[in-house]
Amino acid sequence: MACLTSTQTVHRLRRSLLGTSASVGIAKERSALLDSADEALVALAQQGDRRAFEELVNRHKQKAYNIAFGFARDREDAKDLSQEAFLKAFNYLKNFDGRSSFYTWFYRIVVNVCLDYKRRNKRTAADEFNESVESQIEPSHEPARPPSPEQHVLAGQISRKVDAALAKLPDKQRTAFILKNNQGLSIREIAEMMQTAEGTVKVHLHRAVTALRQSLAEFA
Amino acid sequence: MALQTAATACPKHEEDLVLFHYGDLAGAERAAVQTHVATCAGCATYLNELATLLPLTVKSDEPPQEFWMNYNRELRHKIDEAADKPSWWGNLSLIFRPRLITAFGASAVIVMALTFTLGRNYWPTNDNPRDDDEVAVALPVAENLDFYSAMDDLDDLDVLELMSNPSGNPA
Repeated sequence: MACLTSTQTVHRLRRSLLGTSASVGIAKERSALLDSADEALVALAQQGDRRAFEELVNRHKQKAYNIAFGFARDREDAKDLSQEAFLKAFNYLKNFDGRSSFYTWFYRIVVNVCLDYKRRNKRTAADEFNESVESQIEPSHEPARPPSPEQHVLAGQISRKVDAALAKLPDKQRTAFILKNNQGLSIREIAEMMQTAEGTVKVHLHRAVTALRQSLAEFA
Repeated sequence: MALQTAATACPKHEEDLVLFHYGDLAGAERAAVQTHVATCAGCATYLNELATLLPLTVKSDEPPQEFWMNYNRELRHKIDEAADKPSWWGNLSLIFRPRLITAFGASAVIVMALTFTLGRNYWPTNDNPRDDDEVAVALPVAENLDFYSAMDDLDDLDVLELMSNPSGNPA
């Protein structure tokens, strides 16, 4: 009886050690993924490793969402656009040849998806006004501390004007402005994403700022 | 809060002022703009306007943690759907699967074999005339044989008449 007990104990110890080692293995693998550079994850994902691609998603989803929100200015639309960009990246990952960084390649996809969205959803100024009036009635994404009524009205007016002004900008000017003003990307990064020269980006940015400044001149 | 946009910057410095606001000028270029702004009221006011106006154009959003949990789950579902759905060329390539190709090839070989073996005697040729044609060829010869044998009989009739009427007088 004592032998059986010791045997059972050995088996239990073996099972617990195996379970522990399996957990340790998974943790080590996860840690390896976390420590890997984007290019290493891309190489794994190109070979069919879904966990590597999910790690890429975790690293870049916030920024992708923010870029999409800069274009769409709506939470649900920004979520759909950023997810569409990840889906395209997943489908075309095998075509990524590493000539540019994954960061540049992916955010170029994000920008193109957002520009396609804007082209599909061109609206008149009247439609935007009606929607903005409705958004004031419906619950919106308000900060924790509500502003004063005057501040709220002014913020709403400025927001509507900014939305309308951005919608009027040509695609390239809007892209350069959103990536610079909202995301804080450098001129070089924007030039890589837009596949154009840095001087051209500066011109687009200057013209966008000039147009927006004129749109908000009535508040003077 | 009212925005005063009446300030007019020097046209040749406007682009640099925008880059200066965003911190994209460095070195000698930055120093040159700083020096100019210090002496030009229009450009200085323009720069202040940018500092007041441009942050207002930023509309940011900070979704809660639950949003990101749903985000990952939805994206995983979309990727799974896309991975399971075959592309148009994938559907087309299904007909070229190895099993189907082998089956088609074997079927073609069997059909050709049956055609060249069992079907050999089905199509008529000049070397093998039909039975009716043989009869048609032999029939005139047979008829001629009857004619010639009849002629032989006529010869015998003359002999028979001489034998029955030796005088040769008509009856």
